[in-house]
Amino acid sequence: MNVYLKNLLRFCIIIALQVLILNNITLHWFTEPAGALFVPFIYPLFILVMPFETPVWALLFSGFAAGITVDIFMTTAGIHACATVLMAYLRTNVLNALMPRNLSEYINQQPSIKNMGWMPFLVYSGFLILLHHIVYFMIESWSFSGFGSLLLKIGASFATSMIFIIVYILLFTRQTVSRA
Amino acid sequence: MRNFILIIRRFFNLILFAGLEIICFILIAHSHTLQGDDIVSSANTVSGIVYKKQSDLVYYMGLGRMNDSLINENMRLRKLIDQYRTVDTLKDLPVKRLVTNTDTAVHIVKYADYIYRTARVINNSVENVNNYITINRGSKDGIARGMSVISGTGLVGRVEYVTAHFASVLSILSNKQQVSAKLKDGTFKSTVWDYERPDIFMMRDMPPEEKIKKGDSVFTTSFGNTFPPDVLIGTVIKTEINKKNGKQQLYLRPATNFRSLQYVYVLDNIMDVEKKQLEEQPAKK
Repeated sequence: MNVYLKNLLRFCIIIALQVLILNNITLHWFTEPAGALFVPFIYPLFILVMPFETPVWALLFSGFAAGITVDIFMTTAGIHACATVLMAYLRTNVLNALMPRNLSEYINQQPSIKNMGWMPFLVYSGFLILLHHIVYFMIESWSFSGFGSLLLKIGASFATSMIFIIVYILLFTRQTVSRA
Repeated sequence: MRNFILIIRRFFNLILFAGLEIICFILIAHSHTLQGDDIVSSANTVSGIVYKKQSDLVYYMGLGRMNDSLINENMRLRKLIDQYRTVDTLKDLPVKRLVTNTDTAVHIVKYADYIYRTARVINNSVENVNNYITINRGSKDGIARGMSVISGTGLVGRVEYVTAHFASVLSILSNKQQVSAKLKDGTFKSTVWDYERPDIFMMRDMPPEEKIKKGDSVFTTSFGNTFPPDVLIGTVIKTEINKKNGKQQLYLRPATNFRSLQYVYVLDNIMDVEKKQLEEQPAKK
């Protein structure tokens, strides 16, 4: 399948998954006496799994598009877009630091557990998702008044998002069928 | 000129990144006040249609819960009617009461100076700092910005953005709006939400000599022209003395269950325009 068509389709699927299903799952950690209430975010995954050789400007535009779409559905006006654009900008640098060869040498490949190995992929996605969550929750609360609660919210949301992302990756990666 | 183009080409990604972030911050700054623009909101036509489809799909799962809430409300209304039977309504009511029941999709009940319109909740959130509820009525059904929204059990919020067929309501689970509240004996203060849990409100800085018991009801006031008076906000579940300034803090449990909101009423105050005109008169002189 054409790589553009494939990414467009993935965009639609991930946004639909986020908006229609995950936004209705409100999770909570330690809500008595005080705690965090959040929904898991899976849509940053769309930026994470774009092909290796995607230029930075394309990443920025697609990050902005994904963020603004989620913003429209969640009435958060630009907060998701802001966090996702930052994440998209730093993606190339993180990948360059983690991969052994130059990124332009990986033709028709995308970051995944199969192509990168477990540890590099977890470091790569964990770093970017954590960055996204920190920026998102900081801008949303816009103060340091409930700092403990803010940290708890970031931590809990990060852990849950990572679980959902790993599950998505394991479910939707094509397995090589062994024919014995 | 050539150098300038070279610099732009070299730092193109950085410039693009900065530009996109500036757009985001402009959007955020616009939405940070109650008077902000509705450039990006869930009352948008596209997202409204998507949410409508989703709501139609999961509508049947919630029917049982909805039935319970309607039965409870019926019970409360029947109690109210019984109270009215004991007084001479014709003599005591200040405003003529007019009840019309039309057979269109929107049921309109005129009572004194409010028009009630029913609406279905098609999207709902409780976990953000400012929570919005999308309803399936818009300007074509007579919804306008600033109308207050209540549920069968208590206060919900205020209409903020309106399109032709949808509207988004800023619920009182928000740090943008504080609700002017009163206790039974007439003590006024505003409630605030500390955005940690959807089931706790706070009233800070109450006078410490005030005797407030667990289970006391807290109602809205008509101050600030935002909400109708005497709608239940919640009940007191805990009182404590703030050690920093020696004043009393109340913890409230909201009367509305925001997690399972299905139907709401949008209130249109038909006396509002006249009231505002009257209040603007002294300012002109």
